[in-house]
Formats: sequence, C-alpha cells, structure tokens
Amino acid sequence: MSKKYDVVVIGAGNGGLTAAAKLALEGKKVLLLEKHNLPGGSATSFVRGRFEFEASLHELCGIGPELTVDGELKKMFDELGVSEKIEWIALKEAFRMITLDDEENIDYTLPVGREAFIDKVEEYCPGSRGVSNALFDIIEESNAGLDYLGTITDFSTDIFKKIFGEYSDFINTAGYTVNEVFDALNAPKAVRDCFGGYWLYLGTNLDEESFTHYFTMFKSYVIDGPVIPKSRSHVISSALLSRFEELGGEAWMNTAVKKINVINNKAVGVTLENGEMIESDYVVCNAAAYNMYTKLLDKEVVPKFQIKKLNSAKLAPKGFSLFLGLDTSPEELGITNHSYFIYNTADSAKQAQLTKSRATNGLQAAVCLNNGVPDCSPEGTTILYITAIFTGDEAWNDVTEENYVNVKREFADKVIENFEKATGTKIREHIEEIEIATPVTYARYLDAPNGTIYGFENTGSYGVVQRVATDAIGPKIANLYYAGGYGTRSLGFNPAYSSGYEAAQNVLGNMKKEGQSK
Amino acid sequence: MKIKALPLKNGLKDFANTVSTIPARLGDVAKASDTLPLPTDSFQVNKVARALHPKEQPLTVTKVEDVTDDFKRYYLKSENGRTAYFRAGQYISITLKIGESLCTRAYSLASSPKEALKNEYCIAVKRAAGGFVSDYILDNVKEGDTLTSYAPEGTFVYEPLRDAKTVIGVAGGSGITPFLSLAKAIDERSENLNLILLYGARTEKDLAFKKELDSIAENNGSFKVVYVLSESKAKGFEHGFIGADLIKKYAPKGEYSVFACGPAAMYKFLKGEIEKLGLKKKYVRFEMQGTANGEAKSGETYKMTVINRGETSEFTCRGDETVLTALERAGVPVPVRCRSGECGFCRSKLVSGEVYIDESADYRRIADARFGYIHPCCSFPVSDITIKIN
Repeated sequence: MSKKYDVVVIGAGNGGLTAAAKLALEGKKVLLLEKHNLPGGSATSFVRGRFEFEASLHELCGIGPELTVDGELKKMFDELGVSEKIEWIALKEAFRMITLDDEENIDYTLPVGREAFIDKVEEYCPGSRGVSNALFDIIEESNAGLDYLGTITDFSTDIFKKIFGEYSDFINTAGYTVNEVFDALNAPKAVRDCFGGYWLYLGTNLDEESFTHYFTMFKSYVIDGPVIPKSRSHVISSALLSRFEELGGEAWMNTAVKKINVINNKAVGVTLENGEMIESDYVVCNAAAYNMYTKLLDKEVVPKFQIKKLNSAKLAPKGFSLFLGLDTSPEELGITNHSYFIYNTADSAKQAQLTKSRATNGLQAAVCLNNGVPDCSPEGTTILYITAIFTGDEAWNDVTEENYVNVKREFADKVIENFEKATGTKIREHIEEIEIATPVTYARYLDAPNGTIYGFENTGSYGVVQRVATDAIGPKIANLYYAGGYGTRSLGFNPAYSSGYEAAQNVLGNMKKEGQSK
Repeated sequence: MKIKALPLKNGLKDFANTVSTIPARLGDVAKASDTLPLPTDSFQVNKVARALHPKEQPLTVTKVEDVTDDFKRYYLKSENGRTAYFRAGQYISITLKIGESLCTRAYSLASSPKEALKNEYCIAVKRAAGGFVSDYILDNVKEGDTLTSYAPEGTFVYEPLRDAKTVIGVAGGSGITPFLSLAKAIDERSENLNLILLYGARTEKDLAFKKELDSIAENNGSFKVVYVLSESKAKGFEHGFIGADLIKKYAPKGEYSVFACGPAAMYKFLKGEIEKLGLKKKYVRFEMQGTANGEAKSGETYKMTVINRGETSEFTCRGDETVLTALERAGVPVPVRCRSGECGFCRSKLVSGEVYIDESADYRRIADARFGYIHPCCSFPVSDITIKIN
C-alpha cells in the first residue's frame, strides 16, 4: 500500500484543518494527523452532566459584520465549503466593563457598531464625539493599511507614494503604543477606558502594546461585530474535518508524530510515534512552533536563524478558565450581559503588574453563553465561563502534583468572589457542574510551553507589524510550512484559521513553481 | 473620512519611527542565542501536567490479598517509578489481552492519594455474574504481573465549590472502593469533608474492608460508616435496602450531597428513592462504572467493518452487545477509559449503518451527534455498520 502523500499536515488544530481542507480542495493527496481523539485543538468542547461547555472560543470575528456582509473568515469558510454546516449567532453587545477598585467605580456597557459605540461613549463622556471619530478613522485606515502592506512583494516608489498618501495615519501611528496615540489625541480618561477596555483580551499594558495591533483586534470586534457558533466551536472543527474527508482527505486521530524527517534541508515526511514512516513532498506543521523546533525536528537540521528567532520571542500570557453549569436561569441570577470584563483597575500598567501573580490578579473575562445562545443549556440553567489571564512566567511555578487541586480551587474561589462582587449576583450556591482549567491544563492538552494560550507575546520588536514585515526573511527548511497560533499574525482563532489557509497557498505556489521548473 | 491634520507628531518622523522597528526586530533576532531552548517539559506547569497525566502507567502487581470470598485487593506499583497523583473517587483503566480479545476496564482506586506519592495504588476486583474480565483477573493475575494502564480519570470526586460539606455515600458491592479511598483521604487530610457512608451488602461476611473503615471512623470524627445488610439481621447493622428513609435518618439537618457507587440493580431502586428526598440535582452524583450503557434492541448478528489508519478489516457484531464489546472481542485496540459514555475516549465515526444509543447514556457533544460520531461503549448495532476508529 502506498504511503506517499503530497502533503502531511501535523495537527488538526484550527490552522491544520484549514490547511488540510484548502489543499484537499485543490485536489492534493493529504494526510492529516492528530494526536488527540478529536479535531480542533483549542476549538473544542466537553460535556459534564447536562451541560456542554465551550473550551475557548467565546467570540469569533471575521464572519460578519452582523451576518449581512461576509467577513474575511466567512469568505474562506465559503470557499472551503463549510459555511452551510455551521450556524452563527451575531452578538450585539461588545462588552460590559467593571472595575473592582471602589474609587474608580467604572461600569460601562458598550455595544457593537461604530456609531452605537461612539454614542454610548458620548453618554459616559460628554463632548467625546470628536476624539472617538478620530480614533475610529485611524483604526479603519490602519486596518486597510495593514492589509495593503501584506500584499506588497517588492517595494517601489509608487508603493511609498500610496502608503504616504492613502495610509499616512496608519504609518504615523504604527510605531506607537496605544497610550501614546491616546496622548497625542488628548483623549479623556473615559474614552481611554472605553476604547482600551478590550486590552484584557491580551492581558497587556497599553504603555507597551502596539496601537495598530490592539486596534486591528478592536476593529474586528467593535466595528464588524463578533459571532458565536450556535453549538460550540466543536461544530467548526467537525465541519472542517468532515469537509476535508468529503474532498478525499485522509485523517487519522490518536496518531502522534514523533519527527519531521528532513533530508538536505528539505522536509520529506514524518515518523509516527509508533515508528511508522510516512513520505510526503511537503509537511505543514500545526503543532506549536516552540514544539516544532524543540521536539519534532532533529537539532542539527534547525537553521540557526530560526533558533534565534525563537529565542527572541517571549511567551504570551497564560490562561485560567472556570467552566460553570448553574442550576438557575440567568434572569433569576441577575446575569444580564453576555460578556463581562472585570478588572482590578482600568489603569493597564498597574493591572499588568497585578496579573503577574495569583495573589493580586483580579482580572477576568466572564461570558454567560445563554445571553448569546439562549437555549445552550436546559431550561432554568446557565452556562458561565470565567477566564483570567496571567502575564509573566512565574504565576503558577509553585504548583506541584500534590497541591495542584487546592491551588487551582483557591484561585477559582477568588474568581467567583470577584464576579459576585462586580456584578452583584450570587452564583456560588447554584454551581451544579464545575471544571477549572489552569496553565497546567493548557500544558496538558496543547503541550503549550508554560501553559501559554496566546503563543508568542506581541510587544516591542515582536509586534505583529514587525512580524508581518520580517517573517519571510532568513533561512528555512524547504517544503516545511507552519500553520497555527505561533505564526506571523499571532495567536487567536482568526490568525490560526488564516495561517493554515496561507500555508496551503504557499505549498500550492511552491508546487506550481516546482512543476514549472521540471 | 480622511483626517487632514492628525494631531500627532511630525509625519515623517512618525513614519521613520515605524520603519525603524523593522530593523530593530532583525537586530533582536541577531542578538538572541542560537542554542535551542529546552522542550516544554522544562517548565514547572508542563512537568506537573505530565506527572498528573502520563500517557501510560505500566503497573506491576506487588501483592494480592483476599478481602472477602469473591473480592480481592491488588497492590500495584508503576514501572514509571511513580504512580500519578489523583483525587479520591477517580479510577484507572486496565487493558488486558484475554485470548483474542483486547479488553479495557475501569477500576476505582481504593488507596489514598498520598499513597500514590509512594508509588502505590490499590484496586479491588469482585467476581460478578458474566464478569469476563473480573473473572480473568481474579483467576489469573498474580504478584509480579505487569498490567497496561493509563492516567487516573473521572469526575466522581468531592468538589467543595459544588458539593455540600456533608456527603452521604451510598455504596453497594464493588462500589465501596471509591469511598474507601475518600475515607482514607479524609483521614490523611488530603480531603476536607464530612462523609457518612451507607454501605450495603447481603450479609456481614460480604462486607469488604470493614476493619479499615471502622478504624478510620473511630479515629476521625469526619467519617462515619453505617452497614446495611439486605439478607440478614444483626445487632449494630441496619437491615434492608438503602433508600430515602435510611438516608434521611443519617443525613444532617442542613444541606447534603448524595454520592452513589454500586451495581445497576442498586441504582434502579436508589434513583426513585433519591427523588423522594427532593434534593437539588447538583447534590446527587452517581459513579456510572460502566453500567450506563442502555439496553440492547436486538439479538441479531451483523457485519462490522472497521477502518483504522487507512486499513479496513471485517468482523461481526451483535445487537445485544455494544459496538465496543464487538471491537474488544475482535482484538482491535481502541482508546477506552470509562465505558459509560461519559469520557469520550472511544469516540469514533459511524461511517455507515445504524446504532441504538440510550438517551441516559448519550453524553456526546452536539456536533458529534450531528456529524455521525458515536461512543461505541454505549452504542448497540441495529444494522451492518462501518466504523472509523482512527
């Protein structure tokens, strides 16, 4: 039996699935290998009692705006033929932001949509319309500018003219941090808080966070609007896998790869953990980039430049998630919103310090799924997720096998207390099902270094603009492509899905070139 | 709308600022070390994850002990050098090759979590009618044998953020083992709750671990045990089946949780009884122990085609047995843990054909049900089937 494939894709995570589906769509013979017993990586779900909990995807952008205009991701899903297998629900509310600091006393609820957002900010901060409009203009231009930059292959005078002409605000702001741009616009505090409210999503300090990166994300949420899949993200993963199989692709679950085989600096296939060797012309790797270099490749074959690149990166924030099935409806509990951002303080520099340790971290993003998908759990029950982000590398270093359950429960207890305090609700006595995920959990399921859930950090010279501009530079292993959250556009669902698609396009482009040169 | 005069700094300087970050990026790369960083296992959280969830634990029997006439305790040590830590109430699964069959069964750990840190687990196996694997273990497994096993699993654990501070444990038959572990955990202070255990058996001589349970109860005010005999009457023992009245008799005034572990027959009776107590759903938890696989619809024999990593093989399956049983009988290696529909390890794609899944055992994800995935451990074939396991 022939074991030779055009492409082996390692990992059926989000990037692996889109890479495999695109390659199969183009008629390539593809083998998709997944070490777990189901596809999706982080985009998955699990069942406890009468609840099905989403593992990580609480909002997804790029499908809307508002399901009436096709976003970039929706276009990709259409092309791959998976859209009809997934039902989306559009969210109207961007977030409700509450701070635990009694003096700050912040409680803002902000809607999706540029005009609605500006109106609401005007309510909280009269006279802010001008600044809000200026910010949205730069945001929209930055987004267009970044897209344009991504299409450039050779620099010429015309391109510089275009950049300076059409995207000058983008170029002028791209080198600055969020707070530097706020300063330049003399943005009042309430405007900063409303526009900066999403920073939790990255667990980052707005004194350091790139304006362009932050607001590219902000745009996709606030201007385009997020959606959620009606039956958890496992439906997206299942739809992609099922489509891949319909297109003739072969997928093996419970099949771990031990090595990527490289001969003369060219990937030629993989060796499975059971020793079986599989030959292929190309390999697309969706395992974490960190693991690709440290585990899946022999030391000698990794180009020094790539090792240096890996060493120049810092690990992004680590995750903590609480999954709660409550035995009472959200109305009765008084949980009125879909998405809560609860912070110690709206001062991001202070907050970034506080998120370094369990003792001080009060930051959380809470999602009540029923306020997006009303029938997501049986009548009279509620699904509530609470996620906390940890910055730095130390916060969980004191865990041992023995103290682990108590350590995670102690922090979960505080997270519940903070949620109750911020929202004025009582949820504790209604907990029917509970699971607590920590950096140890993410280390377990994703083999994520130090339990990070966002790949590499986006700050300083490792920002997304800098990555986009430089990632093509430097020696690489031929015919080995990377797909997934540790890639150029950093981690998150959209970058992961698009990285797989891009990897497939690069493979296809190279195949074409090789075909021509033969 | 285009902003003509952006209230930022000088345009050219700002552009230069952006462009300068690109060589800065390359400069940072050039400065970085060219030695590969250590693999993920070097991080403490990754180490803990690996220690708690080893892929496999080869377990060697160090001692076999008779507990009652038909109940034996097996002391096990891991060939990995340490048995993974666990929470009282969790189970390990053991895979055995018996003739041509490859069978996996879940056994609740009967030892304490802290004993695991000294490289020791205990499980107890009871002879059961039609117990193919339990009979095999009782008659064949001896000191020095090494068994294939995996990391501890299971959600039948005490969780103070969810459960009441007092737990009424209801145990029957081999269902005593997770409670023995929990009592030991209370005793060694790795768990903090009040456990009132109602332990049912036919006669006094069928009670397992009585001495150990009594001794813990004597020394520890947080643990109490009540023996309930169904076929004999004796002083100091309750008589009959464990039902609502008996639970009420021993329950505290305030809120309490009920945890139950035992044979299917016990559950059938107990479920109705617990309903009478009017407890919130969150306060009632059953350990399914491979009992929740529903009832067969037909006794016919069907063709079963199995796809595994691109290879296809043909076997037969029977309407009165689960698809998993047919796979095990055929000697097909399938990842299996709980055998109760809950854990999802055996999740496989039903490529063609039909199966019957009892609603009570259907713990599948919504999308899995929609895209044709089944948990073979609680799916009964009702036609010829093709199943893709990997």
